[in-house]
Amino acid sequence: MQIHEDISPLRYRSSWMVVALILLIGVIHIRVADLEVLHGSFWRAMAENNRLRSVPIAARRGRIYDRNGLVLATNTPSFDLLLFPDEARHLDVTALFLARSGIASARDLCQRLQQRAHSSLAPVLVAENLTWDQVARVRAHQSDHPELAVVSGFRRHYPNSELAAHVVGHLRLLTERELATRDDANPDTLVGATGAEEMMEDFVGGRGGRRQVVVSAIGQRLGVVGESPPQDGHDITLTVDLRLQRVAANALSRHSGAVVALDPHSGAVRVLYSAPSFDSNLFTARLTPQSWAQIRDDPEHPLQDRCIQGVYPPASTIKPFLALAALEDGLIRPTTSIYCSGSVVLFGHTFHCWRRGGHGRVDMTRALEVSCDSYFYLLGQRLGIDQIARWLQRFGFGSRTGLGFPAEQPGLVGTPEWAQRVRHRPWYPGTTVSVSIGQGPLLVTPLQLAVAYAELANGGHRVQPHLVERAQPPQVDDLGLDPQDLATVRKGLWDVVHGSDGTARSLAALPIAGKTGTAQVIRLRDDTKPDELEERFRHHALFVGWAPLQDPRLVVAAVVEHGGGGSATAAPVVAAVLRAALAETGDTPMGEKSVVASSR
Amino acid sequence: MAVEHRIDPWLLLAVLAILGASLSVLGAVDPIVGHRLLLRQTIWGGAGLAALWLVGQLRASALQRFAPMAYALSLLLLAAVLLIGQTRSGTRGWFSFGPVSFQPSEVARLGTALMLAAWFARSGRNRLQLLDLPVLVAIVGAPVVLILLEPDLGVALTYLPLIGAALWIGGLRPQVWVVLGLVAVLGAGATWMWGLKPYQKDRILTIVQPERDPYGSGYQVRQSKIAIGSGRLLGQGLGRGSQSALRFLPAQHTDFVFAAWAEGTGFLGTTALLLAYGLLLWRVGATAAEAGERFGVVLATLIVSWLGFQIVVNLGMVVGWLPTTGITLPLMSYGGSSLLTTCMALGMVVSVWRHRLVNA
Repeated sequence: MQIHEDISPLRYRSSWMVVALILLIGVIHIRVADLEVLHGSFWRAMAENNRLRSVPIAARRGRIYDRNGLVLATNTPSFDLLLFPDEARHLDVTALFLARSGIASARDLCQRLQQRAHSSLAPVLVAENLTWDQVARVRAHQSDHPELAVVSGFRRHYPNSELAAHVVGHLRLLTERELATRDDANPDTLVGATGAEEMMEDFVGGRGGRRQVVVSAIGQRLGVVGESPPQDGHDITLTVDLRLQRVAANALSRHSGAVVALDPHSGAVRVLYSAPSFDSNLFTARLTPQSWAQIRDDPEHPLQDRCIQGVYPPASTIKPFLALAALEDGLIRPTTSIYCSGSVVLFGHTFHCWRRGGHGRVDMTRALEVSCDSYFYLLGQRLGIDQIARWLQRFGFGSRTGLGFPAEQPGLVGTPEWAQRVRHRPWYPGTTVSVSIGQGPLLVTPLQLAVAYAELANGGHRVQPHLVERAQPPQVDDLGLDPQDLATVRKGLWDVVHGSDGTARSLAALPIAGKTGTAQVIRLRDDTKPDELEERFRHHALFVGWAPLQDPRLVVAAVVEHGGGGSATAAPVVAAVLRAALAETGDTPMGEKSVVASSR
Repeated sequence: MAVEHRIDPWLLLAVLAILGASLSVLGAVDPIVGHRLLLRQTIWGGAGLAALWLVGQLRASALQRFAPMAYALSLLLLAAVLLIGQTRSGTRGWFSFGPVSFQPSEVARLGTALMLAAWFARSGRNRLQLLDLPVLVAIVGAPVVLILLEPDLGVALTYLPLIGAALWIGGLRPQVWVVLGLVAVLGAGATWMWGLKPYQKDRILTIVQPERDPYGSGYQVRQSKIAIGSGRLLGQGLGRGSQSALRFLPAQHTDFVFAAWAEGTGFLGTTALLLAYGLLLWRVGATAAEAGERFGVVLATLIVSWLGFQIVVNLGMVVGWLPTTGITLPLMSYGGSSLLTTCMALGMVVSVWRHRLVNA
């Protein structure tokens, strides 16, 4: 065992240190006594005046332009009124004041307060877009109502809302679930609900900021404690052409319907117009229940984007694809002809041609020109439903085009498998006959029609429709069609407009090739029986065409709901858009021209 | 030499009182801050008390033998955390295992204290010589450099009392103190000129002129003073004061937990808490004064210096006298690694106390 050494100096120094530390604690105790006992009431008053606010700073959404730089969506400054519910002495008094000033009704205020139970420091937006008079009134009573604060923000504005409501889209409030997952979540943030606003939300939307502000008891701002700055959204330019949108809107006039126009080479969407349209500015503030009910209950369904959500029987507009399929598969030669007597008997049923008197002897180009149904009944028989479906799917029918709108509908290409799976019925041979002329279980969107015709127009290259110009030139993806076969079908489509008996002879002044269609089916959104409908509700008019024939600049698809015959109402709409497009000389930007050149 | 089998009851009383205060204030701010503070800290507190008892069962001589290994292990952990650690707000200083995370820079302080004490025991001198200084500086410097690499200035600062206490208890000639004082002044000047980031300078200037920037760098300290002061004599009830409930008080479960306590319990509660801290320091100091071996004296002194430093610096910050540095209040602030390390250190104090000289 070690002998104890003398360590008393160490103990001595150690004790001094401990005494010093305990004395320091004593000094701190004196300081605490000074704070809590001597000046306690002073600090308590400071605490009661202490008000911290977490004020959201709105991010400016990016502007949206059309391809010529015309403004589709912008922002205007607006005065908004915020309420900090925790700071109100009596919310009833606040409600009374707001109602008397004509800023917000008591019911509206209650509703907005109830929607927001969470986050006590964050304010409730009680009114948007205050007038100068209302601002002055709040400011004048600021000391009575420190819980109210007028802030400046941005309000979305669509200068041509009715012309481009569907393609640009509108805004909506964040849902509860989105609020929980987004860290910059401010319950009053508006985000894109439809159209480009929704598709490009991440790019256009920006991110809101937040500022921690200390305010006095009367709501006066004393200082900023912390701030996370907002990030403004980016501007975007869409490929759509507002002038052509206007032409399409005027051409449709009072009819419901859809007009889609594409650059057949690049797939850039030039027109995406759905009628009836609506005022998307209604959605930039909180929608009143009345205007929401009015839009929602409108029998014409203005919110529906018929270009991508409307599914229609393609009727005769499907015929060029069947003709091409039969040529490609070697089932028929262009010169092969049949005799149309006005009807064909198949499987014991009589199938009528649209022209009861018959077309006489028709070959392929003639059958397209006069839209002879008999020819295509027989052609469809030769192809069979499996081949028909395969070819139609190859042209993009039955699946979304990939434009980027989540609401886009895939349409339908019926097959025996589909009949078994969905309808639990076998496929009847007569159904194939219907499909041969674009009726029956075959539904397409106007956008799909435009894309498919663009592929005919550009010489058989796959077309990817898009609304925002891509940085890279599109990949040229050849569909592998025989140029001879393509030429035959194109000749038929040229004769539709320029032939002596073409179904769209009225447009012969323009270098258009295209196809009419008359769909004899009621709209799908109604579940009434066709028999109960008046005759005039039965036909949708379709026309799809491009111009000029050899060097196509634009392909346009138009559907006019209940428009009657395709040649009568839909063809003039397409003609109007094509005429306007051809009149715009040299409108193609240089960049695009080089892309087109390289893709050939 | 007689050996006690109990734990120093006064020390235990102080620890339990502080832990009790800690859990009650954390329980009160739990709904405000979130993260299930109370549950986590209760578990850590239980683990801490168990560690205190277990370490207290060890013999002081075993601690001394174990010291070099503990020190080496500490350095190893500090090096490892730089490579594979988790980064939180810019500091790479945590090992994370699912819900549990662990900060080696806290535990390494214990290894460093053990190593210093063991070195003193071996040297057997009552007055340091000039050549001893580099050795002491190296022992403390090695972990500090590793922690500054994370970088975590707040934790690195808590190693300062170890070297200070080692020099003080080691005994230096008055001339050396003068030289060290000069070096410290020059070093502080140089640090001010070149070493500090603008926000750190702001924090120091705020102490001199509290109203310089009441909503910027002075905001936290100002809110802390308002919280303490508005507690007045009897307090507003834990978690009920507006400073705490409306979240004016920053970091009210960690650095500024004392202010939350003061707002809730008033002068009465703060007096009781400060008494408990005084009792704690006194009992550890008394253990140092009664220890039979050089190792025990030095170890207890190092531990009391470290606890005392943290208490004084944290409270100094909370009452607005010292700049905000991120130093927590031992046993009171939320944080598992710190609580566990403090309890283990106190366990070593218990071990020394049990082997003290009776009737000396």
